Amino acid sequence: MSYLNNPAVVMDNGTGLTKLGFAGNDSPSWIFPTAIANAASSNAKNTASSSSTGGAGLAASSTGGSSAASNPYFTNATSTTNFGNLTTASLMSNNLSGKRGTEDLDFYIGNEALTASQGANYSLNYPIRHGQVENWDHMERFWENSIFKYLRTEPEDHFFLLTEPPLNPPENREQVAEIFFESFNCAGLYIAVQAVLALAASWTSSKVVDRSLTGTVIDSGDGVTHVIPVAEGYVIGSALKNIPIAGRDITQFIQSLLRERGEVDTSLRTAERIKQEYCYVCPDIVKEFNKFDRDAEKFAQYVVENQDKTRQKVVDIGYERFLAPEIFFNPEIASSDFLTPLPTVLDQTIQACPIDVRKGLYNNIVLSGGSTMFKDFGRRLQRDLKSIVNNRIAETERLSGARSTGVDVQVISHRKQRNAVWFGGSLLAQTPEFKGYCHTKKDYEEYGPEIVRNFSLFNMV
Amino acid sequence: MLHLQPQNILIQKTLSEAFDALNKGTSLTLDRIISDFDYTTFHVSNSPEDKSILLLSIRTKAWQSVQKCQGSIGLLDYLQSKYQGCSGAAISPQPEMGYDLTLQITLSQLTGESLVQLSLLKTIVLSYPFQLAFDEFAQLSSTPVPVEGTPPVSNTLHTVQYRDEESLFIKPASDRITVIFETSFQDETDKIFGKVFLQEFVDARKRNRSIQSAPQVLFSHEPPLELQHQIQPRSDPSKRFVTFVLFPRHFQTQELQFNSVAQLILFRNYFHYHIKCSKAYMHSRMRFRVDSFIKVLNRAKVDEEDDSKGDSSVHAQPTRRTITGRKMVY
Repeated sequence: MSYLNNPAVVMDNGTGLTKLGFAGNDSPSWIFPTAIANAASSNAKNTASSSSTGGAGLAASSTGGSSAASNPYFTNATSTTNFGNLTTASLMSNNLSGKRGTEDLDFYIGNEALTASQGANYSLNYPIRHGQVENWDHMERFWENSIFKYLRTEPEDHFFLLTEPPLNPPENREQVAEIFFESFNCAGLYIAVQAVLALAASWTSSKVVDRSLTGTVIDSGDGVTHVIPVAEGYVIGSALKNIPIAGRDITQFIQSLLRERGEVDTSLRTAERIKQEYCYVCPDIVKEFNKFDRDAEKFAQYVVENQDKTRQKVVDIGYERFLAPEIFFNPEIASSDFLTPLPTVLDQTIQACPIDVRKGLYNNIVLSGGSTMFKDFGRRLQRDLKSIVNNRIAETERLSGARSTGVDVQVISHRKQRNAVWFGGSLLAQTPEFKGYCHTKKDYEEYGPEIVRNFSLFNMV
Repeated sequence: MLHLQPQNILIQKTLSEAFDALNKGTSLTLDRIISDFDYTTFHVSNSPEDKSILLLSIRTKAWQSVQKCQGSIGLLDYLQSKYQGCSGAAISPQPEMGYDLTLQITLSQLTGESLVQLSLLKTIVLSYPFQLAFDEFAQLSSTPVPVEGTPPVSNTLHTVQYRDEESLFIKPASDRITVIFETSFQDETDKIFGKVFLQEFVDARKRNRSIQSAPQVLFSHEPPLELQHQIQPRSDPSKRFVTFVLFPRHFQTQELQFNSVAQLILFRNYFHYHIKCSKAYMHSRMRFRVDSFIKVLNRAKVDEEDDSKGDSSVHAQPTRRTITGRKMVY
């Protein structure tokens, strides 16, 4: 079969961004917002179309008629079958049944969606909330367009690797399988947990020697930061923790600092650029403050240009360079409702895991996502966590009198960190064994959607 | 998104990114795979000597059969002529290992126009047999018809095997060009959808007066007469045949030729894309219907409170419930 030579498609649909690409590449081919702009159906247009269509009245007489007459509630908006009634038709303004043309194809995804939604005719939707698919209609169309327009692949000829967040209900997996096998007839499907792929991505780092799937993943994107312990490729769900501090909070913190100082430009965009280009993690805040005071070169300036590059505004950048990422380690400087530093959360997470895997979890802490990209983030995390662990060991030794063999704490950062999940998927999907681990269309037809509840893990090399 | 685009936007994006990076003084290191419909794979990589030169290689299922098409001009010469006017691109004499054709792209000379031409690479390769047919048509139609004889007949039939199971055939004649697609489906549901779709294709021209100038479309279970010498009748009973009849008005100018060819080449993908879209549409209607049934069921929930009260007085209006099954209190 010739589809065996085709590269597998790797899709990582996140809350904010979708990463699409082919297995074997070093970076995703497309990165765009997981957004879809649908044609906003105006009331008037729909009423006209459903009353003029001949088929509408026919449907009403065949299915809706009898029950609608006997039940006074049935003529309400829920009675989808009753098209003949004009009042019903106006109630169904956002209902699919009123449409009879190719309106369902009138939509845009990704960056095009953002552009289209600025006009009056389109409304913007984000089908994924908190990592999980909320609106399957939108998601199905989002996939349809990303496969055919952006990746230009015939899904029948390709294997697909999709990702899911930890603790995704199996019903969602089944929905995904139904869409991919029933709508798209894809050749084969593998659904991997994002944290596991992030662990696999860390294999490219020179620090990793044994290629195990045991470790703790710190996945920090735009909205939320997850600390996910993974043992032998399985997520330890009971110990998993979320921290409500992530990229967006850092940006807002920078913005508030800029505003307090009264800078000329304090837009969110500017704050975001400053975060990406100037921020770093310092080993000690007090010393860093002193360094800034001694050495004026530490201060930077960011130039904001307006759209046609005629005027320039200069924004000074000061302590926020190291203060902004500091909110991971000292959250009290930015928020009042969440006060536990990231290293402490990390330690608590690992302590909540079964005792026999804890060493492995301390030994292999992997970073993933854009908000972990600050310079020296890994180093600081490792140092703080190490001191927590060492204090505890000293305490135990003092109480028990026995010598401890010690715990190795190692935080691994690598160059593929930003798209670690996608990259891990690309790595795994290009191996020759990958296709053997997938569920194929044939399996799906034999056993049904529940087949995707289980996927065998990739054997470690 | 009703139509698929003939060019590969990913190639376009990758090349323009590389171009921008070069202008900024930092040349990108690229080693990427890009895919296209029908077992087509592109490979974009840096030339080993010079980072500002990119290699764009294509491997496609159709290559072998396209190469076999006989005509006045060879495939490589044809491609050469197509990419001659395209600044910054040249066909490399030695294709990359495992690929059919390699283009050398000098990034510094790239223009917007040549960027589009490069992203059309697959379409241009597949347009070769069409070009041969156009040439032969021109030759046949200019031959004077003998007074009492039949017009000159061509024996040429270009076959492009672009998928394992499916091929397309191009037959030039003195007054028309016939393009025939074989279709076969792996999935049973698709078969039904495909049948309905193809029927619509055939009927659309009859129903809609505004598209009378579109090429005629025929749909048959038996191989059309043009193919009878080529295929054993009913070699595979599940195969169907779709025939497009192009008249001179569809390929008079270069522009028309390109449009017709680009659309014909994408026919199968367009066809399958829309089958998938209509399935997706059906799924969303099913979801909507299930949701509305759930709302009805929620309303039918029996409320404990109601019974305990034992209110025997006749209600003027029955109690109303919201979609979640809650009661409205007046």
